[in-house]
Amino acid sequence: MIIKPFPITPGKASLAAAVCGLLLAAPASAEPPADLIAAAEAEGQVVVYSFTSRVFRVETAFEAAYPNIDLVPFDISSTEQIARITAELGAGIQSADVAYLADAPIVYDALVAPGHLLPFVPPAFADRIPDAFETPLLAHRLSTKVLMYNEEAHPDGAPVDNLWQLTLPDWTGRVVMVDPSTRGDYLDLLTEIVLQSDAMAAAYEAQFGMPIALDDDVTNAGEQFIKDLLENDVVFVSSTDDVNAAVGAIGQDNPPIGFTSYSDRRDNEEEGWALQVANDVAPAPGIIYPAFLGVLSNAPHPSAAELLITFMMGDDSETGGPALAPFYVPGDYLTRVDLAPHPDAIPLDDFNAWRIQPQPTAALRQDVADLVLSLQ
Amino acid sequence: MMPTTGAPGGLLAGHPSRTTAALTGAAFALVALLVLVPLANIAVELASTDGAQALGDVFAGRIARNMLWVPLVNTFTIGFAVALACVVLGGVMAWLVTMTDLPLRRPIGVLAALPFMIPTFAVALSWTVVFGDDRLGPAAAGMLMQLGVDVPGWLAWGGIPVTVVLIAHLYSIAYLMIAAALVLVGRDLTAAAEIAGAPRNRILRAIVFPVVTPSVVAAGALCFAEAVSSFSAPAILGLPVRFHTLATRAYGAIETGSPERGYVLIAVMIVTAALFLALAAALQRRGQSFATVGGQGSRRGRMPLGRWRWPLALAALVVVVATTVLPALVLLLSSFSSQSGNPFASLTTHYWIGASDPAIAQGQEGVLRNPQLIRATVVTLGVGLATGAAALLAALVIGLAIGRLRGRFPAGLLQQLSFLPLLIPGLAIGAACIGFYGAPVGPLPALYGTPAILVIAGVAATLPFAVQSVVSARAQIAPELEDSARIAGAGPPRVLAAITLPLALPKLIAGFVLVFVKMVRDLDLVILLYTPQLPLLTVVAFRYASDGFAQFAHAVTVVILLVSVLAHLAASGFGRATQPWLRD
Repeated sequence: MIIKPFPITPGKASLAAAVCGLLLAAPASAEPPADLIAAAEAEGQVVVYSFTSRVFRVETAFEAAYPNIDLVPFDISSTEQIARITAELGAGIQSADVAYLADAPIVYDALVAPGHLLPFVPPAFADRIPDAFETPLLAHRLSTKVLMYNEEAHPDGAPVDNLWQLTLPDWTGRVVMVDPSTRGDYLDLLTEIVLQSDAMAAAYEAQFGMPIALDDDVTNAGEQFIKDLLENDVVFVSSTDDVNAAVGAIGQDNPPIGFTSYSDRRDNEEEGWALQVANDVAPAPGIIYPAFLGVLSNAPHPSAAELLITFMMGDDSETGGPALAPFYVPGDYLTRVDLAPHPDAIPLDDFNAWRIQPQPTAALRQDVADLVLSLQ
Repeated sequence: MMPTTGAPGGLLAGHPSRTTAALTGAAFALVALLVLVPLANIAVELASTDGAQALGDVFAGRIARNMLWVPLVNTFTIGFAVALACVVLGGVMAWLVTMTDLPLRRPIGVLAALPFMIPTFAVALSWTVVFGDDRLGPAAAGMLMQLGVDVPGWLAWGGIPVTVVLIAHLYSIAYLMIAAALVLVGRDLTAAAEIAGAPRNRILRAIVFPVVTPSVVAAGALCFAEAVSSFSAPAILGLPVRFHTLATRAYGAIETGSPERGYVLIAVMIVTAALFLALAAALQRRGQSFATVGGQGSRRGRMPLGRWRWPLALAALVVVVATTVLPALVLLLSSFSSQSGNPFASLTTHYWIGASDPAIAQGQEGVLRNPQLIRATVVTLGVGLATGAAALLAALVIGLAIGRLRGRFPAGLLQQLSFLPLLIPGLAIGAACIGFYGAPVGPLPALYGTPAILVIAGVAATLPFAVQSVVSARAQIAPELEDSARIAGAGPPRVLAAITLPLALPKLIAGFVLVFVKMVRDLDLVILLYTPQLPLLTVVAFRYASDGFAQFAHAVTVVILLVSVLAHLAASGFGRATQPWLRD
């Protein structure tokens, strides 16, 4: 924070005292401690594994703030990070300092429990982040996999208001998602649907006016939904951008619908998309899950790692400043409670997606994956 | 030309000499380090408790049908179809270029060697740009559909496009291998048969086929193995209709946190394909091998094609252009398109030379401004050249040992073992190399993060190509040439330097180029091995693609294409060195 010097008059002095009092009452400044900066600059480099390409924008901002530290960004999916970190630590190899990843159900067991990935909560932010987002790792923000539709073709709102409509002939071959057999976050989405079977059963009754009758080979409403969806020729693709292009591309008369990241709406203008979230679909549009920041246990640049994590939590401005600019977008929910909510996004409290439950999800994940496999 | 089955004559007969023993020992040591370590790694995984559970699930669980059996059938159907089609297409092209008076045979020959230099994922991507239907939304439909052609679903996705793309990619291996054998058929023999009034098909049956059979079988086996373990083509073209092969299922299992299941599938892939390859080897043995580079031999007179000259030339041109120039053009065009997936959007040079613009692709600069790209190009070339040289050295040791052990059991074993890496997906070789060579081994330091580990993995993965080129080069050198040199008093090293190497050189160069190019355009193998300090071109392309920066990815793919094609053309002197038949 830059404070301009100004001549002190009695009136201004009392104002200054009042301001100082406010500042003291507020949480500690986001500015990292000088000794941390010095130690990090002595290390001179910080290597990041990130599951989002937005790390390239973090690199620009970080190197502008700390020109003496070279940030080496490394864009790797969460699943691959887990494999890489496990292999590298197993072989005693020092490589990265910071991991920025999702896939919570696996991260706990594979990285946190064996001590490969250590939590670091910048002291300045300890009071600005709910405790639930500080353990076992610091959650940077919440990301989503939710039902999105084309708002150009449907200006009056989502074309469906109940997930069960996706199993009807209107949507045969026209529901798009990434193959849950290859991507953890989509598997988490289907797992949550199974975990929420009671809600799915209620939604079924609301849609069809009668209680759900289960097929012999499924055991609950969530599994029945997955089966019906697959039988309705859901389209599996390999990346969220394929979903975005299929669903969102402008100029379509009758576009498909699909599950993707709410925050990809930020690319609408650049890519020629018209993505919008179907927030009011019953029982829920999808899932919301944390993205973690952690320090590798054998980080070659531990101080720079802590400095980067502190930096990535943003500054004291209302929107978090340049470090958070790549993430201060509609559809991403930052875990800091002192930031102003994004004006164009549905407020977190009104966002209907299910919060994933890492432990139950981890326990059920394989079973759901097998169900999907056996149904194809 | 004479068959050389039975006991080899001269000094090669009798008990193994000390040199043979040393060579054999070195060959087995190399194979153990390069091939058996990755296999042992998989076996160790399977022997664990999780491995046993995974075996049960994959073979007998509710997932067995879709995880194992259906993909197994898909995989081997594709494997056989691709092998057969490649041998026929490559064989016909080889025959046209080497044996007939086909017009334009030189440019056709040069182009026919190129498809193998193009990454599979590039061909598959360009297929979707042309033949894609509206299953991924009308905006993602391919050019044909956007022009109003009704593209049927089976042509857009699934087994048929996967097979066609793999054929388009792999037939050039068959072409190169069969042409190299055909060119050794004395054209004087076919000419003599013609003068004697033998009909054309009889000449083919009686003279040409027997001589090229070993190469045809070997080419078929290579294409089969490559097709069976290919990942990117079925991943891109099969997924939207849920068409899976063992490779895509194995990748999916590893990606979603059940690597043991992935290893079960990889093991099934290796064992089943090894059975088929053993069958092919048995066929090859029965088909005998022929020594064709005799002390004499002339190549005069090409078979006249008569009125079929131009129609056949046109057909051959269509094939080579459609499998080389066309995919390159499609990618080039889309790297200039302002919207990913829409080749008809307005054009821009941003993705090549544009300055950073925060509104586009997270502020990524054009690829030619990216310092990573220049570094990646240097690293890729260095690793490619080093791998080519190292693979050829290893293959020479193994190939010479196989030659000396001719007919004895260890020769067959060595050949089978050196073929095995073809069946191990690159991803698994990479993972195994990190596990074994990543940490310090005895006095050796950890190799992770050094080019050495990339070269080791590369040699392991390309060993089959290098060994194949050495073995087939050696098999066609008549023993009497070496024998007479020895009788004249030359020691084994001198025989090697004066007779064997010069005669084998064209095939060795071809092997070197194959290895180099495979390394330059390979992705699966290096994805776990690269580090920020050692970027590789394919990794850069893949990173762009997985970030949804399609145009950047296509631009880098075009760079990869240029590097490998130009390297190939330069190394081969526009085909002169690797395709001597193009000289006359």
